[in-house]
Amino acid sequence: MKALRARSAGARTAGGVRPAHRPEAEPRAGEGGTLAFLAELSQALAVSLDLRQTLSETVTRVVDFMQVEAASLFLLDPATLVLDCRICIGPVDITGVRLAVGQGIVGAAVAGNATQLVVDASNDARVWRAADESTGFVTRSLVCAPLRTAAGPIGVLEIVNRRDGTPFSTADAELLDLVAAPAALAINSARMAASLLEQQRLKREFDLARRLQKSLLPHRRRDGFPVIGVNRPAHEISGDFYDHFELADGRIGFVVGDISGKGLDAALLMVRAASLLRWAGKDGIEPAAWLARANDELCETTQDGRFVCALVGYCDRAATRVRFAGAGFPPVIVQRGDAFDEYASGGPPLGILPGVVFEQREIALDGGTFYAFSDGATDVRDADGRPIGNAGVRALIARHAHASLEPRLRGLLADLKQLRLVDDTTLLLVEAPRAEHPELLVERRMPARAESLRELRGSVRAALDALGVEPRLRDRLVLAVDEACANIIRHGYGPSCEGDIELRLARTGTTLAFELRDTAPCADPAALRPRPLGEMRCGGLGIALIDEVMDDWRVEPAACGRGNRLVMHKRIEDIAGEANEA
Amino acid sequence: MSVSPNGVAAERGDGYVLVRLSGEVDLSWSQEVRRAVLDALAAGTPVGVELSAVSYIDSSGIAALVEGFQQARQNGGRFALVAVSDAVRAVLELARLDRVFVILPSADALLAA
Repeated sequence: MKALRARSAGARTAGGVRPAHRPEAEPRAGEGGTLAFLAELSQALAVSLDLRQTLSETVTRVVDFMQVEAASLFLLDPATLVLDCRICIGPVDITGVRLAVGQGIVGAAVAGNATQLVVDASNDARVWRAADESTGFVTRSLVCAPLRTAAGPIGVLEIVNRRDGTPFSTADAELLDLVAAPAALAINSARMAASLLEQQRLKREFDLARRLQKSLLPHRRRDGFPVIGVNRPAHEISGDFYDHFELADGRIGFVVGDISGKGLDAALLMVRAASLLRWAGKDGIEPAAWLARANDELCETTQDGRFVCALVGYCDRAATRVRFAGAGFPPVIVQRGDAFDEYASGGPPLGILPGVVFEQREIALDGGTFYAFSDGATDVRDADGRPIGNAGVRALIARHAHASLEPRLRGLLADLKQLRLVDDTTLLLVEAPRAEHPELLVERRMPARAESLRELRGSVRAALDALGVEPRLRDRLVLAVDEACANIIRHGYGPSCEGDIELRLARTGTTLAFELRDTAPCADPAALRPRPLGEMRCGGLGIALIDEVMDDWRVEPAACGRGNRLVMHKRIEDIAGEANEA
Repeated sequence: MSVSPNGVAAERGDGYVLVRLSGEVDLSWSQEVRRAVLDALAAGTPVGVELSAVSYIDSSGIAALVEGFQQARQNGGRFALVAVSDAVRAVLELARLDRVFVILPSADALLAA
């Protein structure tokens, strides 16, 4: 209603249509009828979110209520300033007619953003007559009202010839001006709804593409596999990919790739390139020939200037040597102790020139680590917005080099994330599997008293939070540790509680180990059995809860008759690999 | 996460007794909780244990509630947990006791149910 009032107030000034005396042949239903018509029209349009339906609803109702021979609705294309007739009712179909802004009375209504009343069309040179001339229809009188919005007119509503033969009056012009207001509003809403739908459709397609891409990335292997890849998309979908696979002869093949450009078509090329490169490497041919084969294949089908940067190679299971070839890929970095070496391997990106010969090289790792970063990493921006380059990536590696694999990957990714990621970033590393050293997270000793429990829970909780363990699992683990300590206090040491409890929490890879030591009399492991849950009994619930929460646990009494060691294990989700394992 | 201090207090309602617990219920004071629950049951009216401000509960706290439940059943009385916090519910679910206890949204329901 607010918009309607505002528009009707504006019509008097902007439209230049002044209320005049009411001719005899005047409206069919009087003031009340007009209001009822406007209210009905507004309501009908308010519930319509379909543009076509909105337009035809408007025109149909106007023809019926105002009793005219013809009515039409033009929409303005703001880019070309052309008015396009979208709906037309009447003896002559002018749907599809296009008029420039300023052309005819329709064009004049938009040009002046004002309602135009032509009482006698035969005496007005501005009237567009092409349709009349070709069909024999006679335009005697017409009114054109602009469809006004805050951002200017978006079209025109036109009525032609009253059915009773009398010319249009200023009252008719005013009424059309009033009708135009809710129509413009409804068209805007319908357009907005359409663009929302379009956005949702795009989002669904992007989600699908992202899932498809993710499904192409291999899962992280935990069995001492020497090749590990991590991918961080900068946007919803990634142009990067990596792959690794085992050959029958025991060698391990690997691929890292980076598609030029962004968006859905780049994502689809990525899917194609990833499967092509995997296929081309499965025979175990030399890396240079591998790239050449993929290149020729891609050249045949890749158009519009897109290309693929890639690095492919093989290593042995112990990662002593790596043989690789690159196509437009940044030099690989090999870190051996404090020394860093860069190895470029020439060759243009894939998909540009068929028949290209690629270079390959073989290097000994000597216990070092081979890092292949897509250029997303070197493109990462520092605080001043400058790309960090290969030197920056080297510094990044150096900062984390001492750490074992999981914390190192975590650290590298966290640093890259903290810097500004402008492109997809993929890291593939090759190194000899090392025995992983446990990372000690908590080490505490406290008196074996119930009053110690609260603080103990706090330190376990904080350590788990720091690891990013999700709250539900965190609370369960805290409960299990608390239950174990409570059992030691109550049953281990007993009422004359004199002694300490030592807690160590360590992480090895993705496994958490909780270790509790006491100096209480030795427990009988056979007596420590979980009872079924769900029973209304008071005793033994603690052990049952521990058993429920942990993957495994055991009590080892010391040989000398005093002292016990309880070890509990729980495997947690890999935090560093979340990007490609979720 | 609630930061209520540990506390237990019995309130006499209209035809029932409500035992309000708050804080972290663990071995260090679960005996007090047990005592308060059993004392409340001694009055012979329905008993509710209000748990909305309990941010942690271990098996010794659960045991006090189990004892209350059993005591009430022996004497034909009513015993329910009222306004159970998420933290308590998680432990009840873990112990598979969430369907064994009567759990009510508010103390008023003690009489209605």
